[in-house]
Amino acid sequence: MEPNSSIPPPVMGAAVAYPPAAGAAYSAGPYAHAHAALGALYPPPPAPGPPSSHQGGAAAAQLQLFWAEQYREIEATTDFKNHNLPLARIKKIMKADEDVRMIAAEAPVVFARACEMFILELTHRGWAHAEENKRRTLQKSDIAAAVARTEVFDFLVDIVPRDEPRDADPAAAAMGAAAPGIPQHPAAADPTTMGYYYVQPQ
Amino acid sequence: MPDSDNESGGPSNAEFSSPREQDRFLPIANVSRIMKKALPANAKISKDAKETVQECVSEFISFITGEASDKCQREKRKTINGDDLLWAMTTLGFEDYVEPLKLYLHKFRELEGEKAATTSASSGPQPPLHRETTPSSSTHNGAGGPVGGYGMYGGAGGGSGMIMMMGQPMYGGSPPAASSGSYPHHQMAMGGKGGAYGYGGGSSSSPSGLGR
Repeated sequence: MEPNSSIPPPVMGAAVAYPPAAGAAYSAGPYAHAHAALGALYPPPPAPGPPSSHQGGAAAAQLQLFWAEQYREIEATTDFKNHNLPLARIKKIMKADEDVRMIAAEAPVVFARACEMFILELTHRGWAHAEENKRRTLQKSDIAAAVARTEVFDFLVDIVPRDEPRDADPAAAAMGAAAPGIPQHPAAADPTTMGYYYVQPQ
Repeated sequence: MPDSDNESGGPSNAEFSSPREQDRFLPIANVSRIMKKALPANAKISKDAKETVQECVSEFISFITGEASDKCQREKRKTINGDDLLWAMTTLGFEDYVEPLKLYLHKFRELEGEKAATTSASSGPQPPLHRETTPSSSTHNGAGGPVGGYGMYGGAGGGSGMIMMMGQPMYGGSPPAASSGSYPHHQMAMGGKGGAYGYGGGSSSSPSGLGR
């Protein structure tokens, strides 16, 4: 296993209190309650401080809740016959790679769960961007912003084009994150520059 | 018998792997349902956001599969298994996913082993009937869960402090674990998933039986 350094620095750098405030969510249990808990977490901002620390704090806390929920739900899983994603389709996508020969039965099962986590994380990060823009509808540009902001999603850069006009929002967010003051709204931003912003080493 | 089943599965899949557009992505309804879980109740999702995530998930599968496949080739193995996928995720930066998935894979193998022992003759693509979580199964998994979880926790402890922190709430969440049983039942209500289940179930039982 990789040491702590393998964990993305921004999350660790956020320095959020690790015991989640929404302790009640765990005792309640079902996803519905967790969903309500997440809903409760969104409207009231935790702190009116600098945008970067606020965003980092909120994101880290929610991420913490997410992974704890994943663990709890998997711990409770006793039925592996019903998945939120069809195993046959997952297998077809895996088989699209000509180098792939045989696939063990457990592989699509693992992917069904991994893809669910991936969708939840991508959507969650996208929603953060929608909220920053005071919107209640998740847009493609929000997904693009999540991809641009998250290093582990670099492999999706070709999937989510960044030349759309609304993609100026990620640049604005980047400027806001970089600058200590109030986030600015530049008219346009160079994709290369935007990329560099997020890839810069600690 | 398990060997022949596994081999016959290969060509069958080759036939299915036609370059149809819809086969390249997971169903948008499933993707959309999962996305809703990550959002507040009053949030809406545009169609282009759903389609974008659909494409991203397929790319995620191909990305991880490609890395796992390369590893298998280096090691002169032909079959990609769950551990190869977990290794690939670690290599490609998805460390956070690996600990929960280790637990998931462990429980799956446990259940498969148990199923193989119970039903010596695993018959065909269509299972006899959709059985709910039987008391014995749930009891066994309930007993095995803490042990398995503890093992993973110990391993994670060596790796990352953050994982250890996440381990704590798990114990607190033990009592409501039973209530989550209703969740799989809800999913099972969908008829469309039945077909996928039949196929998946058929392919999953043979190799595991062979392994055990």
